[in-house]
Amino acid sequence: MRYVLGNWGLRKIVPHLLRSIGGFSALRLFSLWEDYYLYVLVKSMFQCMECEKPPTSFAKMALELARRRRVLDGCRPKAVEQPKRPYPQLLESYFHMLEDVLIGRACDLVAKPLEDVIPDEEAAALYQLFVSSDWYSAVRTAIHAGVGTPKRGRALLIGAGTQEPLDYVKACQVLNARCDFAALEVDEKIYRDLERLAAKYGFTAYLGWDSVKETFDIAIATNVLNWATDPSDIFAKARRVAKELLVTQGVVEGMSILFLLTVALRAQRPVSWREVEGIARQAGWRLEERYAKYPLYIAVFR
Amino acid sequence: MSLAIKFRCPVCGTDATLAITPELLKQATEKGAARVTARCPRGHAVLLTIDQYGYIRSTIPVQEAAKPDCEITDKAPPAAQQRLQAILEKGPATDADVILLEKAKAAGWVICV
Repeated sequence: MRYVLGNWGLRKIVPHLLRSIGGFSALRLFSLWEDYYLYVLVKSMFQCMECEKPPTSFAKMALELARRRRVLDGCRPKAVEQPKRPYPQLLESYFHMLEDVLIGRACDLVAKPLEDVIPDEEAAALYQLFVSSDWYSAVRTAIHAGVGTPKRGRALLIGAGTQEPLDYVKACQVLNARCDFAALEVDEKIYRDLERLAAKYGFTAYLGWDSVKETFDIAIATNVLNWATDPSDIFAKARRVAKELLVTQGVVEGMSILFLLTVALRAQRPVSWREVEGIARQAGWRLEERYAKYPLYIAVFR
Repeated sequence: MSLAIKFRCPVCGTDATLAITPELLKQATEKGAARVTARCPRGHAVLLTIDQYGYIRSTIPVQEAAKPDCEITDKAPPAAQQRLQAILEKGPATDADVILLEKAKAAGWVICV
């Protein structure tokens, strides 16, 4: 019940998406499947490590998550049955990734540094596979269309990567709105790809905050805080260049095995929704509307 | 019975028609959107996204097929293989596919000679 109340705003902004995956009951089913996969992961890990001595930070994080999700009681796995109903087809590629990246490599992930299990080039390819999957792209497009971000004026996509601009363009098409935005990246390799897209789609690409020399109606931070070494710095810099801020962020309260997947692909740390609002307040932002709390926090600040 | 809708080719601007079948609408209703490839009268391949009401939500030009002398290696995780196979056979349908193919090559998932 608390979950439904905390996410009531989702009905307002992503009704089509919710309906297409089967409503709140499908979200619940999704969560059951995630817990089942987490249980399978923990069981696989225990075949090659002792629970009392997790040898890597990944192993430690996985055990903490399993305890938080009540899949693990101390060091005793609590059997989670495979859900009888299949997961929504839209999410098939996500669960396949969990099998390939986490469960299939469980023993390596608890024994070796992450970079040795998933080299940087492979992490980049997996990340691209993940963010450009139909479900992930559909979620981002639906949020932008639902919040009506393109209608709020010129936007700055913070830590845009290469997929966010493409999803934003789709949202503009859905709303039949003018697509006026710039994309900011701090990673030089990603920026090179971004520049190519910018030339094709007619948006501005920036490398690093120092290169941003204009102001915006809205700044958009989509799942950037858990990749950042200093999340408060991002909101403070956004405050200097934008009038509004849209934050979409997976948060620790509803954290699932999905977070372990992003860690394997180099995410830095989890954040809580209260932490997100605290950081925003500190940077001078005032909450205008909160659409969802967790597992995906969505809010607009002014 | 199918429904005909008009779209404008994003490459040459020519108006074209697409027949929307009940199967396509059913797919769009179930998944939120359905994708279909069509050709404009001038022969440009276009990837259309259709919503459950039969409206076109996006039209994206389909890019040239990848070179046929590429193959997927056993380094590619099973989760990636189906999508990479489609990209290699039909060519990248979107910019995201183009980037994925580049990253897949860098990761050793795909080798081209």
